[in-house]
Amino acid sequence: MSTSILSLKSVTMRFGGVTALNDVTFDVKEKEILGLIGPNGAGKTTVFNVITGVYHITSGSIDLQGKSISGMKRYKITKGGIARTFQNIRLWGDMTALENVMTATDTHKRSGLVGGLFGSPVSRREEKRDKKRAQELLDFIGIGEYADRLARNLPYGVQRRLEIARALGTEPKLILLDEPAAGFNPAEKVELAKVIRKIRDAGYTILLIEHDMSLVMKVSDRVVVLDFGQKIADNTPQKVQDDPRVIEAYLGVPEDAS
Amino acid sequence: MINLRDKGAAIWENQGRFGRIGIALGAMTVAAALPFMGGTILNTPIADYESVLVYPIAMFVLMAIGLNIVIGKSGLLDLGYVAFFAIGAYTMGLLGTRTGLNTWEILPIGIAMAMFSGIILGVPALKLRGDYLAIITLGFGEIVRIVALNLGTLGRSEGIINIPTPPGIFGIEYRFDSHRIYYWTLLMLILLAIWMVRRLSVRRAGRAWESIRQDEDAAELLGVPTFKYKVWAFVLGASVGGAAGVFYASKTLFIAPDNFTLQISILILACVVFGGMGNIWGVILGAVILGYLPDRIRFISDARLLVFGLVLVIMMNLRPDGLLPRKKREKVLPNKEKP
Amino acid sequence: MIGNFLDQFWSLTFGGLSLGFIYILIALGYTMVYGVLRMINFANSEIFMVGTFATIIVIRDLFKFTQASEPATGLRLWLVLATALIFSMLVSGALSMLVEIVAYRRLRRMNSGVLAPLISAIGVSMVLAESVRILTDSRPVASPRAMEKKFIGQFFDAGIRIDNTIIVTSALILFAVLITFVNRTRMGKAIRAVSMNPNAARLMGINIDGVVSATFLVGGLMTGAAGFFYTLKYENTASNIGFELGIAAFTAAILGGIGNIKGAFYGGLALGLLETYASFFLGTQWKAVTVFVVLVLVLYTRPNGLFGEALTQTRA
Ligand SMILES: Nc1ncnc2c1ncn2[C@@H]1O[C@H](COP(=O)(O)OP(=O)(O)OP(=O)(O)O)[C@@H](O)[C@H]1O
Ligand SMILES: [Mg+2]
Repeated sequence: MSTSILSLKSVTMRFGGVTALNDVTFDVKEKEILGLIGPNGAGKTTVFNVITGVYHITSGSIDLQGKSISGMKRYKITKGGIARTFQNIRLWGDMTALENVMTATDTHKRSGLVGGLFGSPVSRREEKRDKKRAQELLDFIGIGEYADRLARNLPYGVQRRLEIARALGTEPKLILLDEPAAGFNPAEKVELAKVIRKIRDAGYTILLIEHDMSLVMKVSDRVVVLDFGQKIADNTPQKVQDDPRVIEAYLGVPEDAS
Repeated sequence: MINLRDKGAAIWENQGRFGRIGIALGAMTVAAALPFMGGTILNTPIADYESVLVYPIAMFVLMAIGLNIVIGKSGLLDLGYVAFFAIGAYTMGLLGTRTGLNTWEILPIGIAMAMFSGIILGVPALKLRGDYLAIITLGFGEIVRIVALNLGTLGRSEGIINIPTPPGIFGIEYRFDSHRIYYWTLLMLILLAIWMVRRLSVRRAGRAWESIRQDEDAAELLGVPTFKYKVWAFVLGASVGGAAGVFYASKTLFIAPDNFTLQISILILACVVFGGMGNIWGVILGAVILGYLPDRIRFISDARLLVFGLVLVIMMNLRPDGLLPRKKREKVLPNKEKP
Repeated sequence: MIGNFLDQFWSLTFGGLSLGFIYILIALGYTMVYGVLRMINFANSEIFMVGTFATIIVIRDLFKFTQASEPATGLRLWLVLATALIFSMLVSGALSMLVEIVAYRRLRRMNSGVLAPLISAIGVSMVLAESVRILTDSRPVASPRAMEKKFIGQFFDAGIRIDNTIIVTSALILFAVLITFVNRTRMGKAIRAVSMNPNAARLMGINIDGVVSATFLVGGLMTGAAGFFYTLKYENTASNIGFELGIAAFTAAILGGIGNIKGAFYGGLALGLLETYASFFLGTQWKAVTVFVVLVLVLYTRPNGLFGEALTQTRA
């Protein structure tokens, strides 16, 4: 097995009386697609939120390439190599698609406000380079022709994919996708599966939350299953599907086992 | 609803380089020629027309551009903007009467003082949620006035008198009644501020502010150092307010705490909101209209603040984007297919 | 100085307590609205200001007291006080509901974010203050004395003044009534449900508009009562008093944890006392500065107040 890029050790997250994550431990290995599934309210999004620093974990530890990231500022975690998309789309609606991605590419710029004000050569060069890079990312995800449209006017499916392009803009090592196929029709799902593989083949590691079982099982190398904040399985897609505990968890909420 | 901003932007975009330079020069010429339109329909009944051009109009425009960086660009509600104006003015008042420094030398000091207080106030306050920022800045604006009212060195309620006019440059003399000269100087400051804002808007800082205004949490999670850019917005806004203050003191030659009430903050806020938060041309238009009309129409001038309060309520409820809203249009690229 | 302070300690304390109760009532206006809308009602200070004028209208115009007239006694005194209190509460309560309709309702329905309603409320606040300023010719207005301010008792060597006593007891009663209302009545429970979780409350079939209106009404009633007590104590008012009292009361609300009704109580008391003691040492002209420093310190060090909601917390 290859080395792990992210590891959660005994992570517990409590909100007042609610224990959203209970002693969760798993690793994400380099260049893999790890599926993260579980019934509604299982704690999947909460996993993303604690990794990206939205919430501070109650106990446990989260390491990125061996270095602890719990308690770090959010934008520094992103700069450190983790980017995410949101379950409920959170683009900057008044910016164009290209500007959305460019804002993300600013993460690693050397020049800042002063350089921009006085038009320093570094700033000019970086601006030009990142504009090109942002367009490439849009093309890569397959939405290049929407570059100059305001994000808020984009069709739903394009918005979801723009979220992915934007996350890629921060040059992450690990990208967290929160239900990227939500609301997609079967054809779009097939398309998305291709995009996800393409991203992995480009050298990124992916942690994927998805409710559509056939999609997760098809693209994932490995699947972690959460139920009521606890990890109940961590195995290959085939084995997970046959795991009685997983079947039981899903039978409790049958509409999710679509 | 019609979107004048988009119409204007379309005209601008369809011009070549020379067309644009022409438009810009034309606009500047018209602005610079305003003092000569004194005898015309533009005249105001109560005040000397040329002095109205300086204050409130040009001064409001300058401050509105500054406040717009904070509220329009970054979505931070600063209700104590007058504090930075006051700090600039008192810096001019103190140094101008007690040292040999002249206005041009004090200008950078006044700007620095305003920026410094922006940091002192902003660094802790910008960690809080938006509405707490509003109340802290609101309090700060009043506190600065109360301090001026009670400190002997600042002249208490009598304020500071005999502040020097700027020394002449290039053979131009600043006499207290040569309004045109002051107006043209202010115009230069305004152009400088416009240049700064436009410059910043198109690159990293502009995107950072825009993302913060629209969804701060998402911005931070996508790598924008939100706090840093909020402080920058606050401090840059303060710098413009400080510059306006220095120049104001050097024009009126006399300042007192009464010139720096909470109402000024609200007036400037109204200019920004009326014209269109986030769009510099809208903000300028708003400041010109709200600076000019109360002097032009006699019965409003008493109830100026009442009108401005109404402007805030009505605009927010009926046209929250202002007269000239921020960018709404999308570039039409001829060589690309649109589905 | 310290000796003087100790000499005057109890009389300062009584004055501070009654000021504290005035703060409590205004702070309730902020806290109630904050609870349901998660927004600072910037117009609350002006609702208070209008309440002080309502009191003067009753005393001066309804009961025809003048600066030269004899203070009332006996039954007539209680009639005057009760009428003024109730009238001020009703005026402020109604005004508060109107403010909600004009400044907030439309924007709330449009889901417009925080900036727009804040600005809109600032505008309303400006309109109120300026209308009253124009009506009063920018001058402070003195309230004729309806009640002789005699001492009704002695505590150590400080006299207990009747107006302070009335303020403290009636404010306590109002506070008790409010707590009962919030905990026992249907509407009170609905208000609490909305403050805890607006979406869940909506799903449960609670009429959010009704709840918001009721909250503004209750907040306005309390704030109006504060207007009455203020006028009783200080015997004058002006169109611009809202700012100072408003920011102090808001500080009290923050001190106790905004959104928290009991917090407003302790915060108001603490601030009333603190401000009175501080004014003794520093002079009254620094009163507003003291309050502001307290506000800043609390927000920076304990943004949740003594017990309250987390203000800096965000969600993603
Ligand atoms: N900020 C919060 N405060 C309180 N409880 C929370 C918070 N965030 C999440 N929870 C709770 O944690 C649990 C897990 O929520 P989470 O959003 O992680 O579920 P999920 O697996 O992503 O579900 P879904 O498939 O519906 O997206 C839920 O019970 C939720 O109510
Ligand atoms: Mg989720």
